[in-house]
Amino acid sequence: MAVRKSFQEINDKIKRGEAVVLTAEEVAAMGQDHSPAEVAEKVDVVTTATFGPMCSSGMFINTGHADPPIRMERATLNGVPVFTGIAAVDLYIGATENHPDNPAYGGAHIIEDLISGRDVELNASAKGTDCYPRKSIRTTINRDNINEMMMFNPRNAYQNYPVAVNRSNRIKYTYMGSLLPRLGNANYSTSGELSPLINDPELRTIGMGTSIFLGGTTGYVSWYGTQFRTDAELNEYGVPVSNAATLAVIGDASRMSPGFIKAAYYEKYGVSMFVGIGIPIPVLDEELAARVMIRNEQITTSILDYGHPGHPEVGRTDYRTLMSGEIVLEGKKIKTASLSSLYKAREIAGILKKQLQEGSFLLTEPVMAFPRGKGLNSMDIRI
Amino acid sequence: MVLRFPSETVNEPITYTLIREHNVLINILNADISHGKEGQLLIEMAGREEDVNEAMVYLESRQVGISPVVKTILFNEAPCVHCGACVSVCFHGALEMDAQTRKLQFSPEKCVACELCIRACPLRLFELNFGVN
Repeated sequence: MAVRKSFQEINDKIKRGEAVVLTAEEVAAMGQDHSPAEVAEKVDVVTTATFGPMCSSGMFINTGHADPPIRMERATLNGVPVFTGIAAVDLYIGATENHPDNPAYGGAHIIEDLISGRDVELNASAKGTDCYPRKSIRTTINRDNINEMMMFNPRNAYQNYPVAVNRSNRIKYTYMGSLLPRLGNANYSTSGELSPLINDPELRTIGMGTSIFLGGTTGYVSWYGTQFRTDAELNEYGVPVSNAATLAVIGDASRMSPGFIKAAYYEKYGVSMFVGIGIPIPVLDEELAARVMIRNEQITTSILDYGHPGHPEVGRTDYRTLMSGEIVLEGKKIKTASLSSLYKAREIAGILKKQLQEGSFLLTEPVMAFPRGKGLNSMDIRI
Repeated sequence: MVLRFPSETVNEPITYTLIREHNVLINILNADISHGKEGQLLIEMAGREEDVNEAMVYLESRQVGISPVVKTILFNEAPCVHCGACVSVCFHGALEMDAQTRKLQFSPEKCVACELCIRACPLRLFELNFGVN
């Protein structure tokens, strides 16, 4: 009889310390000599993870009110502008916001400083109102003297991502790293068979409310991410061959660790932030078992030329080839490298596995599934 | 190389003489010279072999100390997150990802100090070091 497990049944096993938990890499290896039915029978949860630069990230903070109070209209933290257009002392630190005089320093560094417990200088100004008379303020804030630190990232954990190459004659400095001219290198940025949304490509178990590992603590999937699409071309294993689904995630940054949230600067591009995310996938049935068994050689991705406008597709490859350190394109051997860290992704998948085995992390059944058949608009430029 | 000028030669136009009379190309990378005191000049010198040899003989005749310089890359390993942004621009095999552990391996003996990793690292963990051999 076909195996069927519910979230509740698996959670009960987790609470009893009896759940069988494997990382996505371990289950991919197991899949070499086990059928999906056998994997569904033996394995309860598979842990997936990624640790890569994710620009669409940031953090809401509430600084607490001064006496007399201010309704901040413009504010900077260590000189980096932060968003103020919400309530009086609510601020949003955009990860990629730059210091005006230092392009290598920005919002992600402020977020890392606050998570690490370091002091950050706040400067703010306002016109002054009857209820908020103060017109300027200068002070230092840190994790312990402000109210909330809510990390809210509108787009993380991309389901697959194209490889970047450069067929032009000049070096290109991009968010995909330094791309050397004339196909000098090829950069990619996912954790392949360990990547969360590649192990549940139809998002059967991941939706609003899913408990996840986020930056060193437990966070949640809060919505589908911006630029979420489900209409990308699929390969024969049902995996999109380019960037497709995304997640919006939320978590308490005051409990996060700088080991899993790390500021980054890409030369002549700007600031970004490494975000560590781990997602447990319950093996509810044979069909999901077949999904989580996917191996690097079965995950296709497209290769885009960042040396030309519109980044035209110039080829396809798979993650086994990419991780071997070399791909062949247009008859040329090209050195490959990853911008996301497989080492850190493995660390996260391992931590989540341990928490599930110990019963300190429980699965959450999504309270809302994400849309199917969703496409993506390009900007319609009008006068 | 680093040229060390004794105080009595600091006021002589040694670089001018090297270029003008010995026909070598001089690229000054760093200079620390004050009149009447000892001075140091970090230079790259290029030219035909016989010209360079004659230039060296001239420098020795002026009691200028010559020390070859080694440019090395320093790697601050502890904060590394083991992404591969530096690996992708290192063509001498000094920066490689271990195939099993997926940890970054830095082999300084393979490094030619091309400096591409300095800009490629998103955490800015590499820096250039001028050491005198």
